[in-house]
Amino acid sequence: MSFLKVAAASLAFAFVSSQAIAEPVIDKAAPTFSGKAADGSTINLADLKGKTVVLEWTNHDCPYVIKHYESGNIPKLQKEAIAKGVVWLQVISSAPGEQGFVDGAKAQKVNEYRNSAPTNTILDPEGTIGKLYGAKTTPHLYVINPEGTLVYKGGIDSIKSTKQQDIPDATNYVHETLEALAVGKKVPHPSTAPYGCSIKYAS
Amino acid sequence: MTNLLYRLKNSLQTSRYLSASLIVASAMLSWAVSVSAQVVSDRAATPQVQAQLIASVEAVQPSTEIYLAVNQKIIPHWHTYWINPGDSGTPTTIEWTLPDGASASDIIWPAPNRVSMGPITNYAYENDVTLLTKITIPADAKPGEQFTAHALVDWLVCEAECIPQQVELALSLPIVAAGEAVGASDPRIDETLARLPVASPWEIRATQTAINPETALGELKLHIALSEAQLAQVKDIWFYPYDWGRIQQSGEQLRKSVSDGIELTINTGEAPTVIGESIAGVLVIKELSSDNAAQTITRGFEVKVAVQPAIENATSSIGFFTAVLLALIGGVILNLMPCVFPVLSIKALSLVSHANQSASEIRLQGVVYTLGVLASFAFLAALLILLKAGGAQIGWGFQFQSPLFVLAVAYLMFAVGLSLSGVFFIGGSIAGVGSSLAEKPGYSGSFFTGVLATIVATPCTAPFMAAALGYALAQPPVKLLAIFLSLGLGLALPYLLLTSWPRLQRWLPRPGLWMERAKQLLAFPMYAAAIWLVWVLAQQAGVNSIVIALGGMLLIALAAWLYDSTLASGNHIRRLGTCSALALVLLSLFTGYAGVNSSAANAAIATAGAAEKTAEKNWEPYSEARLAELLAEGKPVFLNFTASWCISCLVNERVALSDTKVKASFKESEITYLKGDWTNRDLAITNFLKKFNRSGVPLYVFYPAGKAGEPAVLPQILTPDIVISAVTNTSSL
Repeated sequence: MSFLKVAAASLAFAFVSSQAIAEPVIDKAAPTFSGKAADGSTINLADLKGKTVVLEWTNHDCPYVIKHYESGNIPKLQKEAIAKGVVWLQVISSAPGEQGFVDGAKAQKVNEYRNSAPTNTILDPEGTIGKLYGAKTTPHLYVINPEGTLVYKGGIDSIKSTKQQDIPDATNYVHETLEALAVGKKVPHPSTAPYGCSIKYAS
Repeated sequence: MTNLLYRLKNSLQTSRYLSASLIVASAMLSWAVSVSAQVVSDRAATPQVQAQLIASVEAVQPSTEIYLAVNQKIIPHWHTYWINPGDSGTPTTIEWTLPDGASASDIIWPAPNRVSMGPITNYAYENDVTLLTKITIPADAKPGEQFTAHALVDWLVCEAECIPQQVELALSLPIVAAGEAVGASDPRIDETLARLPVASPWEIRATQTAINPETALGELKLHIALSEAQLAQVKDIWFYPYDWGRIQQSGEQLRKSVSDGIELTINTGEAPTVIGESIAGVLVIKELSSDNAAQTITRGFEVKVAVQPAIENATSSIGFFTAVLLALIGGVILNLMPCVFPVLSIKALSLVSHANQSASEIRLQGVVYTLGVLASFAFLAALLILLKAGGAQIGWGFQFQSPLFVLAVAYLMFAVGLSLSGVFFIGGSIAGVGSSLAEKPGYSGSFFTGVLATIVATPCTAPFMAAALGYALAQPPVKLLAIFLSLGLGLALPYLLLTSWPRLQRWLPRPGLWMERAKQLLAFPMYAAAIWLVWVLAQQAGVNSIVIALGGMLLIALAAWLYDSTLASGNHIRRLGTCSALALVLLSLFTGYAGVNSSAANAAIATAGAAEKTAEKNWEPYSEARLAELLAEGKPVFLNFTASWCISCLVNERVALSDTKVKASFKESEITYLKGDWTNRDLAITNFLKKFNRSGVPLYVFYPAGKAGEPAVLPQILTPDIVISAVTNTSSL
């Protein structure tokens, strides 16, 4: 049976070697991180076990983000989710000097203005968490279930545009995912194409 | 303050151009409606993009197709997006409002570039892009009126920041009657048409590994059959899939030269292609111009191929010894294949009745059988090595490319099936298959059972052993031989063990009537295999070959019956029976051989004929003497200097010079088409190229009739229209 071991070992090696740029995988443990939040606290994903967590990459000056905030789409979603015990974390990975970069105070102010009340906002100016999750766009959303498993990654909804009038016709994937989780059903679209502005990472 | 600024900035960004252009647009619309002859604006500009609606004609004729296009001039460092924008962004959209009865195609996309910022890669256009749309003009378009097209164009333009913008453009073209002049095309449309992705002139294959459930990663491999010389000209090669997530957009595309081309290895993305389905996209090749090493010619090639499972990848990573082991296991598994199992079970069952033989005798039987198998595999390996050395492109199962071999194996399967069914018994047959179970064993019988097992096993090996054999074929001869022998050993192993370990034989069931029944049952897989082979044959040699194959089988069945029914008769009749049976078998083989050969030839002629019709040779080889002669006679001459390694030459020939309209215009204008092959850097051609200040190919020159002193040089990228207008304009002068 040694050949099986050899085969398994070599296959495993082949996979490990191509794993260098792996992105988080649906139905696997979500990568853990700890990050500084807008209110000065430190947020540790591991501490949030037992709760459903939404990660929302954002940049308040990006037209795609504006579409979903001016229309009230994302603020409403945040409110409903938080009311059901979900932890909603915005993540801002814009580098200093780039579009969307904010300090804690400004992050809170921008949210106040937009009637947005996420559980908290994580400041990630080095882009560490963004790259850990392979976040590409704003908005780009991830949903982690109470066991710490990644159950959704992708876009906010199904119509890739900057037009507010498209929102009623689109399937909201995050809403759909949270509903499925609440009743213990399978997430219908666990991985979708994110759309939006590119994240302005520090280069 | 922050709030105010925020609000101001947003409202500006989202609506400034939008509202401005909308006002203009709606104004234009109302003008257009109220005053149909009113000239409407074909241009709009934002701080980043100047857009213009352009046309391939200045006037339209009813029932024709024209191109309308949106040209975007983009300021430096900013970009708009391709149909698959990559990691972020949105492709440009055009919403057409056309007169009743007219229709618009989807956008015809030029090949994109990649624009990377940190970990994010986009597929986009910089500087200048023309997005073509094919427009069908309705039959009832009335000459004298205007054909007005409105385009509502949405795009996202990004540098680091992104701005969605929308403009409305309109263009009115006069409608003229069929036959009237339609005017010139906008040069930007011609240029874009010339650079649109074209069908790939090379075979492209795609394989993909299984997606690892732990990492969600797989590897897509694209194999492009570029020749080595063409490969040397490639500066950059990149695959852009039409759909998001098929590959990791920001991942590398590792380029590797392989024996018959180039292989791109790309990590799969978040929406990988399902194996068996097609991957579609554009392969963009930047080719070093042979004319000027600093210059490149960029060309896109359409790719649409079914993605095959990449098994060979797994074996190549497991190395030689594991491949040998896998081959051994594969060989053992082959014993269970429907074509092999009947043969071997009969052989194994014969042990039951020989239980009284000495252990050493039985053991020797096993060894001889093993030798038979190994000798056959060694023969096959040697054949493969020889063919490989001869440069042939072969894969496992190559022998099945010969219709005659397929026919012969089909006959063999059928005959073995008849024998198992009990139609006839061959006393001490070479295979020992049909021998009655009480037949005394012959060592030669065992050897040839091994040979037979190998022959009947080959049709089954193709699907099952593809991995190990694919690996083996890429190995040097010694390793190839080792893998084949290992496969053979695996095939022989169960029987070898059975014969060399008497204890195992005790586990065999007792002989009885059931053995006869089992034998008869086992005939059916043999018939099934024969049916499959006839089907394969029909694919290779046409429908007639089915009749030939089935007729041959009829003769074989008749022969078997004759042989068997006269076996018990007197000497004379038996001899007559055997002889006529033999004659029938020979007849079946002969008609099979002659029939399939001619049938295959006919099939080949049919396909070759069809190919020839489409690719009728309309050129002569170039020589200085021939050119001088033609020019002296005052005849028009078209010159094409090409080389087999020159990618754009090949594409131009396929796309433009083989076009039926081009051929027709050459014929009509009585143009002699001379082709100079510079593959080996022919000195005479080099000198000729120098006359035109060129140091490389492609070079296209047209000498109009009677104007040997005024040759026209055509561009390096051709379309049928470019060639036709070059040869018609100048010759009519």
